[in-house]
Amino acid sequence: MNKKDRDNVVVSAGFWQQSWHRFRRRRLGMLALYFIGVLSVIAVFSPMIAGTKPIVCRYKGSIYFPCMGYYNRTWENPIFQKDRFRRIYPRNLKRKDPQSWAIWPLVYQDPHRPVRRGEWEGLEGNPYGAQGRPTGKNWFGTYKTGFDVFASMVHGTRIALLVGFVSTGIAATIGITLGAIAGYMGGIVDLVISRVIEVVMCVPALVLILSLQAVIEEVSIWNIMMLLGLTGWTSMARLTRGEFLKLRETEFVAAARCLGASRVRIMFRHVLPNALAPVMVPIAFGIAAGIQVEAALSLLGFGAPPPNPSWGTILNSGRETLQSGYWWQLVFPGMGIFLTVLAYNLIGEGIQEATDPRLADPRN
Amino acid sequence: MVSYLVRRLLVGLLTLGLITCMIYGLIRSMPGSPLDTDPAMMDPSKMPSKADIERMRSIYGLDKPLHEAYWQWLKNAATLNLGTSYSQKKPVAELIADRVGPTLQLSVTSLLLSYLLAVPMGLYATVRSGRPDERGLSFVLYTLYSFPSFVAALFLQLLFAVKLDGTWFELPLMGNHSSGYEDLGDMAQAWDSFQHMILPVTCFTYGSLAYYCRFVKANMEEVIRQDYIRTARAKGLGPIRVLIHHAFRNTLIPFVTLMGLTLPGLLGGAIILEGIFNWPGMGLLFFTSILGRDYPTIMSLTLMFSILTLSGQLLADMLYAFVDPRIRYS
Repeated sequence: MNKKDRDNVVVSAGFWQQSWHRFRRRRLGMLALYFIGVLSVIAVFSPMIAGTKPIVCRYKGSIYFPCMGYYNRTWENPIFQKDRFRRIYPRNLKRKDPQSWAIWPLVYQDPHRPVRRGEWEGLEGNPYGAQGRPTGKNWFGTYKTGFDVFASMVHGTRIALLVGFVSTGIAATIGITLGAIAGYMGGIVDLVISRVIEVVMCVPALVLILSLQAVIEEVSIWNIMMLLGLTGWTSMARLTRGEFLKLRETEFVAAARCLGASRVRIMFRHVLPNALAPVMVPIAFGIAAGIQVEAALSLLGFGAPPPNPSWGTILNSGRETLQSGYWWQLVFPGMGIFLTVLAYNLIGEGIQEATDPRLADPRN
Repeated sequence: MVSYLVRRLLVGLLTLGLITCMIYGLIRSMPGSPLDTDPAMMDPSKMPSKADIERMRSIYGLDKPLHEAYWQWLKNAATLNLGTSYSQKKPVAELIADRVGPTLQLSVTSLLLSYLLAVPMGLYATVRSGRPDERGLSFVLYTLYSFPSFVAALFLQLLFAVKLDGTWFELPLMGNHSSGYEDLGDMAQAWDSFQHMILPVTCFTYGSLAYYCRFVKANMEEVIRQDYIRTARAKGLGPIRVLIHHAFRNTLIPFVTLMGLTLPGLLGGAIILEGIFNWPGMGLLFFTSILGRDYPTIMSLTLMFSILTLSGQLLADMLYAFVDPRIRYS
């Protein structure tokens, strides 16, 4: 075949390309995907959207990024603590270094504390209680003693998405690995792993997490993610095992074996890419479930420890003052949780239909 | 079949053994007097008394070597000697027995309601498949399915107990009866209970309703394309007869399996919803015992929830074989 001929060969679309093509035709699925995309951007850039620490500032001749402190306290340069800023930047920057300049987040509100009067020139302090309803200043109102709901929700996005991704990531790693080993090896290994799956399926995750709350002094958000991951892998393991059982009898596996490929190589390089599609569905649903469980735990008061607001924490505050009818403390975080869960469920269903070979269009 | 049953039971026992090991591990690692290290928890009412601790130590065998102690605890648990609650000074088994009633009141009502509504709705959706009304229905159901029940519970409370307070639509905020319940007449008592049940039952029902409805429809879609349905139509049977006798009957297998999975869960209650509605069931008992660090109760309930989940799966598999004569376990 000469070069010209080779250029004229039409490469037919691969499985993933076809699936993506079918997914893209589902309007709701794509909308959900965009929504999650926007949420991810909000989560990553949360300190630049709402916060009281400058994104960039020049102070005493050096450039600092104080807003990094929202990701991790130690990422905030200790010089501001040493110079006794007490977390109030605008006033202190000007007072301690008149030459300084700063670029501020879009909304001057803090997720960890209420904004006080005069902190920002001409800005009133945050109202609370019945006065805390949504206004042009506090877009989603305030909760507790004047914490801004919008700022807390923007920063809470980080926790919500992190919980979903990390717990499902752990679950997927365990589930796919064990399922692959069980399905490919068969025999006694399969028997043992299948029993383990049955055992873990019987462990109610929420009950386990709550029981642990009684034993461990301080349960961190990472512990919760770990537990969710360690209990949530069974459906993925079962699906992967089923696919591997089917695929290990195929010709391409026999060919790889003839070429002398190792077991691990066959399992993860040759079989796994072909077995991945059905596993994607429980992954999407798992993320939705993780977000729900975290919010529910925070709602019960067992969630992430106080400095980090999660959507469930705001909901909990709304629940405490329910009889006063502060609707904004329930409606905004509640809708946030609902829309995120809905989006992941829609994506999951979209993947399910897009990767189902029975629904494939024979023309493309 | 028998050999399969025996194998399943053995696996079940193994699972149970593992779960009890885990729970016993939790008991072992719980702080002996949990509260003296944590100043925030220095509430005298939550503190177990000396006698409590001694009794607990002997019941759980904390003074013995591990394997002996575990065995003793197992024997105690098997004879329903689950220890005595710190906070309520009653045997845990008795506490649990008190809470079964209210939990069943909610779960059975909602189960019946969701099945009664889901089947006709699913059949309707099958018949009207692809039409605007079916797509609207499916969209609403899908939205409901994704709506977390605890968010819905809070929204409903806000609407019916706070915003509509004083109007005709007012509903009680929480609890399972009003304060003067004992003095009411029979009819008034029933009406009071009914009013208190509306919001919790709604929250329990709508999610599973949406799920079952989609489930019925998905299974029907598969069956309705089969040749025997065409045959039934061709020999001139009416659409309703075809739908119910020929199609729906053949979707019963997965449906019954699903029922099996949910049955034992009826006893377990729902921790979050019962917590929100302050409904005195199993879930609330679990929740309050965690807040009060009432270890005997926590451990007993964890054990019970695990057994319930386990038996649900077993029941589902058994029902599966029972309903479908083609399935032979060997």
